[in-house]
Amino acid sequence: MQIVETTNEGLKRAYSVTIPAKDIEARIDSEVKKIAPQVRMPGFRPGKVPANLIRKMHGDALHSDALNATLRESVQGLITDKKLRPALQPKVDMVEGYEQGKDAELTVEVEVLPEIDVPSIEGLELEKLNVPVSDKALDEALSRIAENQKSYKDAPKTKKAGDGDQLIIDFVGRVDGEEFEGGKAEDTPLTLGSGQFIPGFEDQLTGVKTGDSKTIKVTFPADYPAEHLKGKDAEFDVTVKQVKVESETKIDEDFAKQLGLESLDKLKELVKGQLEQETAGLTRTQMKRQLLDKLAADHDFAVPPTMVEAEFEQIWNQLQAEAQREEDPEAALKEIEAEKDDYRKIAERRVRLGLLLSEIGQANGVEVSSQEMSMLIQQAAQQYRAEDRQRFIDYVRNEPMAQAQIRAPLYEDKVVDFLFDKAEVTERDVTREELEAAIEAEEAPAESKKKAPAKKKAAAKKPAAKKEAAKEAPAKKAAEKKPAEKKPAAKKAAAKKPAEKKPAAKKAAAKKPAAKKAAAKK
Amino acid sequence: MAKKSAIDARHYDVIVAPHITEKATLLSENNAVVFKVANDATKPQIKEAVEALYDVKVKGVNTIVQKGKSKRWKGKPYKRSDMKKAIVTLVEGQMIDITEGVS
Repeated sequence: MQIVETTNEGLKRAYSVTIPAKDIEARIDSEVKKIAPQVRMPGFRPGKVPANLIRKMHGDALHSDALNATLRESVQGLITDKKLRPALQPKVDMVEGYEQGKDAELTVEVEVLPEIDVPSIEGLELEKLNVPVSDKALDEALSRIAENQKSYKDAPKTKKAGDGDQLIIDFVGRVDGEEFEGGKAEDTPLTLGSGQFIPGFEDQLTGVKTGDSKTIKVTFPADYPAEHLKGKDAEFDVTVKQVKVESETKIDEDFAKQLGLESLDKLKELVKGQLEQETAGLTRTQMKRQLLDKLAADHDFAVPPTMVEAEFEQIWNQLQAEAQREEDPEAALKEIEAEKDDYRKIAERRVRLGLLLSEIGQANGVEVSSQEMSMLIQQAAQQYRAEDRQRFIDYVRNEPMAQAQIRAPLYEDKVVDFLFDKAEVTERDVTREELEAAIEAEEAPAESKKKAPAKKKAAAKKPAAKKEAAKEAPAKKAAEKKPAEKKPAAKKAAAKKPAEKKPAAKKAAAKKPAAKKAAAKK
Repeated sequence: MAKKSAIDARHYDVIVAPHITEKATLLSENNAVVFKVANDATKPQIKEAVEALYDVKVKGVNTIVQKGKSKRWKGKPYKRSDMKKAIVTLVEGQMIDITEGVS
């Protein structure tokens, strides 16, 4: 096997490889020998067919097999020889004009992963912005709960039902003098003014008292879902069993008990916990972004263009889909067209961070255990119907690609957690608004490098944050890919790529829209 | 090598097919090949046909008629057709690759 390097620029490598015909012949011979004992042919006892006959019969099939195998091996050999770490599946082309019995010439094009010095993880300084839960927020949350727990009290008999009161009614409905299906009910609670029933129904019940009976006439609206009732006039005999008025819910011990808790303190504690969790998510986002920004700033290395291209392609498709849904697709398209370069830079950053994180994870032995894996699979299975779940689990168990896809987010999280552990974290108490502002503020400098019209993004607080989150997605992708690459399995790594793109795509799908909108709005 | 006799259509009628079996391949040690031939073919005809089709010199021809088995189908006896085989010995130094087709 002769190897000649034809290109070596940046991360691109190209080689031309010549495989002598002798090698291929030898391989076919050994292949023939291997299958000889199994060959059956009429006129011969099994396995007694002479080798030259076998060759004549199966030679062509064996030849292409042998050729493919030799190709694979030589590419593999090339990669190990030159100590390449391919980013994607190497592109292998056969030079035209190959025939059986001739030397085979190949051109191999490959993009290698950049040599990343494992980043020093010591001395990272991060700021953790804690948001203590204020009493005011706590009260607000409590009153919100109280509102949802509205209770109704029996009103005195003389009370006339008005807006906002609840009636307990029996009713029988008739169309053209005949009862119709679903037109009858007993003890139905109906809150006046809630618009629960067909228009006119509730209005006519205003002013009734407990024990009243009333016949009301209404017309079903033309867009009523039941086909046979559309636009028909109907009569309802309504018996009002009880009129109830809304009662104020006070936040006190009783209220807590009503919710099935021991005391008010306990309730407060729970609500507080909930609020803390909410802000903890934000805090984490903020820290993570700090971390990623730091990493991105400290490390600058060339990334494989094809990976960037793939990433960009994905963002781009996403944006285009967004634009189509926009009120004015043309304008939206123009808008994103104008920012194309910026999106390309984002893609590059994503790929770079992804590679970096995976490198860190690998260097420090961050791993996802099989237990965690099975938990993840179970979680993922939850979104399927019960009967499909088992099928999904089986599928995942047999598909390394699917597994990688599920594992990726966790792996990234673990690497980030690991870095948090290592980093020197300074804590600071801030309010929620400040935290959100911080997320946005950090966005600006980080973005200004990558995105010229950063202000646009920063202008909308939330969307900006989301965009960043989307940016993190790719980390997973690359992070996951690495372990596989250690082996000579260049192709495996490449194969994984498309699979992993999906979670990122999904993530981006969820987050991008808002960002885009904001940008479009400015 | 110039052809001694031109190929004629009747030559193709004489030689039906090569007979490729374990036993036939063993005969190659004696520089002989085995053909299925027409039932009414004679040794001189076979010799002529092989010499014409494969452009070789034939030393001798032996023939066998392999009788068809009698079989029964739905109780009714019938007979499979007979087959004539010709073992053609070639002059030393000559050879035929029977797995290749004839021209």
